Amino acid sequence: MGATSNVGVAGHGAGGAGGGAGAPARDESAPPGRDRAPTSAPRPFGALFWTAVAAVGVTYVRALAFTPVEALQGPAQKIFYLHAPAAFTALYLAFALMAISSVLYLWLRDPKLDRVAACSAEVGLAFTTVVLITGPLWAKPVWGTWWSGDARLTATLFLWLIILGYLVMRQAVEDRELRARYSAVLAILAGLLVPFIHLTVYLFRTLHPQPIVLKPSAPSMPAEMAVTFALAFVAFALLFVALLRARYRLALAAEAREEADGSGGPN
Amino acid sequence: MPPRDAGYAYAAYVAAALIYAGYALSIWWRWRRVARRSTRGPGAP
Repeated sequence: MGATSNVGVAGHGAGGAGGGAGAPARDESAPPGRDRAPTSAPRPFGALFWTAVAAVGVTYVRALAFTPVEALQGPAQKIFYLHAPAAFTALYLAFALMAISSVLYLWLRDPKLDRVAACSAEVGLAFTTVVLITGPLWAKPVWGTWWSGDARLTATLFLWLIILGYLVMRQAVEDRELRARYSAVLAILAGLLVPFIHLTVYLFRTLHPQPIVLKPSAPSMPAEMAVTFALAFVAFALLFVALLRARYRLALAAEAREEADGSGGPN
Repeated sequence: MPPRDAGYAYAAYVAAALIYAGYALSIWWRWRRVARRSTRGPGAP
């Protein structure tokens, strides 16, 4: 997850949010010994990121100290405020954006769309990692086992592996256009798993609970818990946007560097 | 009788914080590496 992932694009000279991708313009005003920006692209983290960090901090405090303990599951139920927002963000924001951008890329061939898809996939992988770590930590005290191997858990693990493969493949293919095209196809196929994962609790016998928020009727939880959950969802969605923007800025800077070197290979 | 052990919840909150912070740091580290290479000029390792 923390490895350098290739988010190169299928074309040269494409601009994007936060700066263009032309030859690097040195920031000669930067003091000696400090990093200078490689392009006109700004630094990856700004006010949005620190706002998201503050929101996540408030969520932690509210969830752990000011939200009632659930009667049946005890303190372990508080993992819900991490696990469910991470799952929502990964599946319905990150991987949905990845799949939609990939469809649009195959249609419009705009390199920005390939870049957005790749960045979204990488950030989504981080959120899915949180889902796959916090899920067993919740399951052990409540179900009596770390992992049940049912359809939802297994499909989520498969999706994590497919996204990991997607990012590894981007490192392996040097031709930018081929890389973008292969990546788009794989991303669309991975995106098809998202509605399947959502429906697994209806289609298969499972230990995983039925949805208590994303369902036709009203969420089945007390108001205090619902407020904490809503706060958590907003905080982690904000964190997703901030990390996506940072990753996009990194991709722009890396591409500018590639073009200055005259190479089109993986960054 | 609900399980009273809060250790799992604390472990989950610490693990999530480490994953998000680690990922943010990886972005920062990669950006810094690109910035350093750029200050050395084209063709620098």
